[in-house]
Amino acid sequence: MNSLFQTNIKTPLLAVLLVFATALVARAQGSRIQMTSLDHLAAKASQSVDVTIDERLMKVAAKALSDHDADEREVKQLVAGIKGIYVKSFEFDADGQYSAADVEAIRAQLRGPGWSRLVSVVSKKEGNLEVYMLMEGEQIGGLAVISTNDKEFTVVNIVGPVDLEKLAKLEGQLGVPELGIETTKPKTKN
Amino acid sequence: MNEDYLWDKSGQPDPEIQQLEEILGTLRYQPKQLVIPANLAVPRRRRYVPLLAIAATVLLALLAAGVWLRVRVGHKSQPQQANVTTSPKAVEEKTPSRDTVAEGSNPAPPAITIARNNKRRSSVSALKQREREEALAAKEQLLFALRLASEKLNLAQRKTQGTSPANQIKNQHRIG
Repeated sequence: MNSLFQTNIKTPLLAVLLVFATALVARAQGSRIQMTSLDHLAAKASQSVDVTIDERLMKVAAKALSDHDADEREVKQLVAGIKGIYVKSFEFDADGQYSAADVEAIRAQLRGPGWSRLVSVVSKKEGNLEVYMLMEGEQIGGLAVISTNDKEFTVVNIVGPVDLEKLAKLEGQLGVPELGIETTKPKTKN
Repeated sequence: MNEDYLWDKSGQPDPEIQQLEEILGTLRYQPKQLVIPANLAVPRRRRYVPLLAIAATVLLALLAAGVWLRVRVGHKSQPQQANVTTSPKAVEEKTPSRDTVAEGSNPAPPAITIARNNKRRSSVSALKQREREEALAAKEQLLFALRLASEKLNLAQRKTQGTSPANQIKNQHRIG
């Protein structure tokens, strides 16, 4: 009887815990894009960049950022809530080294719930650029950028809350010349 | 000699046998209660042996856990490195089209180079050597990734500003 009672209690409890854990994992991984489908492009690329910074490495990197340096202090504040940054970038010597399916594999993930396309620029001359945001309530929960042109394919994925204005300002810091563009705070509509 | 005496003590006993019986009779078993002398020194059982065994087991377990953790950390830290690979062809041609990857004019080593000064390094001086190396590598990756994201965002903004006179990102819309 006791065993039966324990079994009856344990089963729903385990199910609830499992659902709760799955929801937590899904929430944590919600803005993470799977980019392994692009790995095959590395063989064709003249130059490829693969940056994988998970939550642990984010903390490690944050330790190395100085509080005394203004630029690094700003970066430290920017990455405080970020759970991961993932970059895959390929440069090719010739045109047509990646397919539309490669781009679509990434884009399809960004059609999921919560994701909004903030910017989509299509240019035959300069290539295409798409910026996506994952909204979690009023907060940005993630960012994804797809940049493509004839000889380049780049995907940037930031997991966690990010301040776009501060991020845009970074280009003019840390030794990188600014493009001289005024930043405007994007208004999001869901 | 009557042998029945030897068998069942019947008949006439042999005097020689009787004498032997009297002599050996003193050694006959006589049941009596066991009395332990009060001054008898009983050797005490060594109690530290089990404790020593437990301590040795714990020590071995800790040692094994330490080795396991060290090996695990070593395995974990290895694959989490940024990979910037350049094909031999590209190296020969030396056409660094991405200034964010090979900053300055030194494209030969395919690595992300970020300027660091001593002031920045001082913030991690307290860390151990290995942790410091990992932290600096992670920092380089982080800065590179952030700059790339920043560059793309600014590029998007520049392009949208170019297409829209209102200087704002207007073509935002929700998908999914």
